Amino acid sequence: MDSIAGTKSSLTWAVNISVVVLVVLWLIPTIGLLVSSFRDRDQISASAWWEAPLPVEQAYRLRAEGEVRQDGGLWIIEGNVFDASEMVETFPAGSEHPPVAAFGITGREPGATAAGQEAENRDGGTLVVNADGSYVFTTNEEPGDRPPRIYVVAETPPEFTTENYNTVLGGDGMGQAFINTLTVTIPATVIPILIAAFAAYALAWMDFPGRGLLIAAVVGLLVVPLQLALVPLLSLHQQVGIGQSFVGIWLAHTGFGLPLAIYLLRNYMVGLPRDIIESAKVDGATDFQIFTKIILPLSFPALASFAIFQFLWTWNDLLVAKVFLPSSDESWVMTVRIADDLLGSRGGDWGILAAAAFVSIAVPLIVFFSMQRYLVRGLLAGSVK
Amino acid sequence: MKHSLYTGAAILALTAGMAQADGHMVFALGEGDFNWESYEAFAAAHDLSGQTLTMTGPWTGLDAELVESVAAYFAEATGATVQYSGSDSFEQDIVIAAQANSAPNIAVFPQPGLASDMAARGFLTPLADGTADWVRDNYAAGQSWVDLGTYAGPDGADALYGFFYKVDVKSLVWYSPEAFDEAGYDIPESMEELRELTDQIVADGGTPWCIGLGSGAATGWPATDWVEDMLLRTQAPEVYDAWVSNEIPFDDERIVAAIEEFGSFARNDDYVVGGAAAVASTDFRDSPGGLFSFPPECYMHRQASFIPTFFPEDSDSAFFYFPAYAGQDLGNPVLGAGTLMAITNDSPAAQAWIEFVQTPIAHEVWMAQQGFLTPHNGVNTDLFPTDSQRAMNDILLNATTFRFDGSDLMPGEIGAGAFWTGMVDYTTGADAAEVAAGIQERWNSIQ
Amino acid sequence: MSPLVQGAITIIIGVGGCIGYFYFANMLLDKVIFPARGNDAGRNINRANQVRPWLFLFPAIFALGLYLVYPVVGSFLRSLYNRAGDEFIGFGNYANLIADEGFRTAFFNNFLWVLVVPAMATFLGLLVAQLTDRLSWGNIAKSLIFMPMAISFVGASLIWKFVYANDPDIGIINAVRASMGMESLDPLQIPFWNNFFLMVILIWIQTGFAMVILSAALRGIPEETVEAAIIDGANPFQVFFKIKVPQIMGTIVVVWTTITILVLKVFDIVYTMTGGNFGTDILPSYMMSFMFRDDGRATAVAFVIMLVVLPVMIWNIVQARKEMR
Repeated sequence: MDSIAGTKSSLTWAVNISVVVLVVLWLIPTIGLLVSSFRDRDQISASAWWEAPLPVEQAYRLRAEGEVRQDGGLWIIEGNVFDASEMVETFPAGSEHPPVAAFGITGREPGATAAGQEAENRDGGTLVVNADGSYVFTTNEEPGDRPPRIYVVAETPPEFTTENYNTVLGGDGMGQAFINTLTVTIPATVIPILIAAFAAYALAWMDFPGRGLLIAAVVGLLVVPLQLALVPLLSLHQQVGIGQSFVGIWLAHTGFGLPLAIYLLRNYMVGLPRDIIESAKVDGATDFQIFTKIILPLSFPALASFAIFQFLWTWNDLLVAKVFLPSSDESWVMTVRIADDLLGSRGGDWGILAAAAFVSIAVPLIVFFSMQRYLVRGLLAGSVK
Repeated sequence: MKHSLYTGAAILALTAGMAQADGHMVFALGEGDFNWESYEAFAAAHDLSGQTLTMTGPWTGLDAELVESVAAYFAEATGATVQYSGSDSFEQDIVIAAQANSAPNIAVFPQPGLASDMAARGFLTPLADGTADWVRDNYAAGQSWVDLGTYAGPDGADALYGFFYKVDVKSLVWYSPEAFDEAGYDIPESMEELRELTDQIVADGGTPWCIGLGSGAATGWPATDWVEDMLLRTQAPEVYDAWVSNEIPFDDERIVAAIEEFGSFARNDDYVVGGAAAVASTDFRDSPGGLFSFPPECYMHRQASFIPTFFPEDSDSAFFYFPAYAGQDLGNPVLGAGTLMAITNDSPAAQAWIEFVQTPIAHEVWMAQQGFLTPHNGVNTDLFPTDSQRAMNDILLNATTFRFDGSDLMPGEIGAGAFWTGMVDYTTGADAAEVAAGIQERWNSIQ
Repeated sequence: MSPLVQGAITIIIGVGGCIGYFYFANMLLDKVIFPARGNDAGRNINRANQVRPWLFLFPAIFALGLYLVYPVVGSFLRSLYNRAGDEFIGFGNYANLIADEGFRTAFFNNFLWVLVVPAMATFLGLLVAQLTDRLSWGNIAKSLIFMPMAISFVGASLIWKFVYANDPDIGIINAVRASMGMESLDPLQIPFWNNFFLMVILIWIQTGFAMVILSAALRGIPEETVEAAIIDGANPFQVFFKIKVPQIMGTIVVVWTTITILVLKVFDIVYTMTGGNFGTDILPSYMMSFMFRDDGRATAVAFVIMLVVLPVMIWNIVQARKEMR
């Protein structure tokens, strides 16, 4: 189209820019979560995710554990704040220490005095903390068992860690949960498509009484809230003998996914060119042959689209999995493990939650990106009209 | 325990649990100051080899491991296999399981209200004769625990269905001793002193309280604990009992006054971090973090005993008893909660389990690890790992009045629904009397 | 038997079974029951063709009937009883609902959602589909916009908490406000407008869905119609609105319908972000507060939801009738 219309470069630019804007808008929220999944809990609460690569000014409390000596009536403690036990974790020995920006003697004003200047401490003496961390603490009274407190404000280097992912992935049973999810989603995607394809064809291209009503019924069933069906169906499964099992959940997902499948597939099939079908009929093909040789190949894009949606839906589903699968740990799917086990015990840790969210996105995304190519191929391969 | 309700998004059914209790005993038999005699006596009296006991409850993660560590002793003593499975949405799961006839042998209920509902529908089996007498004799304030576990069955007759195991103390205020130390504040011994301290902190330029009600679908529940504590400190316990059973209406002026007492802390912009507007949207797990920052965002946080799990690592925290008014003559009321065990699918193993949790050893095993309190007066309190745990348990054992969390006792629709949303409305500006009237209306509609 | 093996067997049996069923049923019909031979050939063929649709439809009808219709009917009957299910109260539950302010709020909010979300999602989907149509990096752009659909609702709620959070160090909106010198506020507590903030989340997710389907539809437009218009001197906007859109109007409506119906079902977003507080309740999350406690009322709400979709159903029947010659 562009080549026929001539090069309208300004329009192309406008299109490109607007798409970029849209994509960025769409991505920003997710990027925020992605970045947070690599940070640790303290850093997340101290600075925002877009400031993650920047050093964070954080306040630290430590005890003056330096060398104590006496000079006349004065007790002097000398040392370096970075040697204190509280600091070693964040600033490992041997690594480059950031400069101390300020210090203080009380938690309420941890950065009351700039580094290098002298401040009065509460024990009647003075305290000086220098930018390199060395400090001198003087007091008239003998320091007791507990060394005095010092507060220090320093720029903490940004810390990115895969710790969160380790916790989520390495957690008990995550591997099993992954396999379980796969076991649930694949049959639950394949079977509904098959059944729906046949039904959609019938509703699209076969004429029979009651067709309109059936179509309307399908649309109506689209809106049935899942929650309604759960308990009666579970009881039914128990009576029939399949109880809570994988077979049960496959059937359940098939039932729940059929309305959308039939609806989408039917709408696509209705748009297929009538001539091809009619000429095939004239040539003596049976409905079944028309279906398998003409309709199915032509409907491939729609089938692929629906397959993606159904896969995503069953992968991310929490509700149906909890009701129709056995509740023992070994049958949990990933969503259940994350929601029940992880969220339940680590609910306050944003980093872990973020990592969990991404772990559960990974496979659907891979599926989508790979199916994308099939979609495109399907679309370009046959010019439908 | 409300802290298990905060995801609350999905409905589910749970039945059997995962095999554990493979003989992994945390404390070797015979070692330590545990009550091994009770263990031996129990083991000698029960042999359930080859049987399986299924149990579900609200404990997940670490708590699930801890209950399994207790179950290991039961398994070792009787030869049975114990399968425990925990879920964050236990309250909904158990209803589905019971309705679908796939309930476990033992269910651990965080709310007596739900257990009472299920007893009335015939899903629970009454506990063995004599259990009630045992509880009366062996639990501190035993009669309260019997009352809390007694419900009307499907035929209308009362029976003891629930046995309390693992309780929570709620009337606690958490603070950072270092922050208090530096600022020179003293622990308040009375409500009047607490209010003075609050004003003092404001005068010194700080913010006294961290309050957060956010909890996803369960948003609002921490406020219900506040209101219950305030009610116990302003009215006699009989008023509390009448309120919980709806003998006096929710919008009775005494209840409204208690709500407004809570509001005097939470709706005052100077008293709360972020101002009154932030209270309803701050997540309850994030809000205590303010105690430990430098400078401290706040100095006090009123919350139940489970909250240290959500404090930042290595934070120094301590608690003091949420004081009562010296001016009133109501003693030292303590608000608490607990989980109760009930038989949802009777079997010899289930009956044996109930007997097992009557032994001191069943309590001591968990006690000695972490996060467990009990009113059982036969346990050795020296086994608590920390002094603060012991102190908490002492509060429990010494309470002059002990009352169970009210919202857990009310019918689910109120105690885990209308009360929560009513509190959210109140903290965001609605009138206390109107909110209470609305809750009462809802209660009327479910009678 | 490990579930994995079970799964593999199920796929084989399921797929093979389906194909087998259709194939053999068809064969049975054509060769045995209504053979196209002999004197009755013509009549038999007709008969076969009359029965065949039902053959194709049978598995679907069975599954739908069992998994959706049966619970629906059961639920409607349940909604006529009281909360414990033992006392018949006719439309009492429905009367209570209408009288309850919470219900009216939820209903009104739902109305807003149904109005705004499908329209915006379809519009944006169409926009993106068109813009990325001939772009060299179009597929990448489309994939990125589709990505939110791959995220579970729990994940999406988490992501948007990072946008809406009160704390300027966590929430983007408040960070922008802070940088402009304004005070933080909680977008989810602003009366009336908080609904729209929640809607943004669903639009963010669903636009990808609309985009994929509309993109396929755009690709299906015959090139000749577009070329002809360009030769006649139409500018791109005219081509879009006067040539392309009318030709894919059918698909646009399908997408709109599907998203509308989804809006009526999704409760997770409201439920996990605000729990229905601050006046953000919509019918599905409102229903959750009754689920398993007062099943009479819960099923009544579910029925109201289904009634709301009735116009859409009727419209679809009309369309279907129009289509078939």
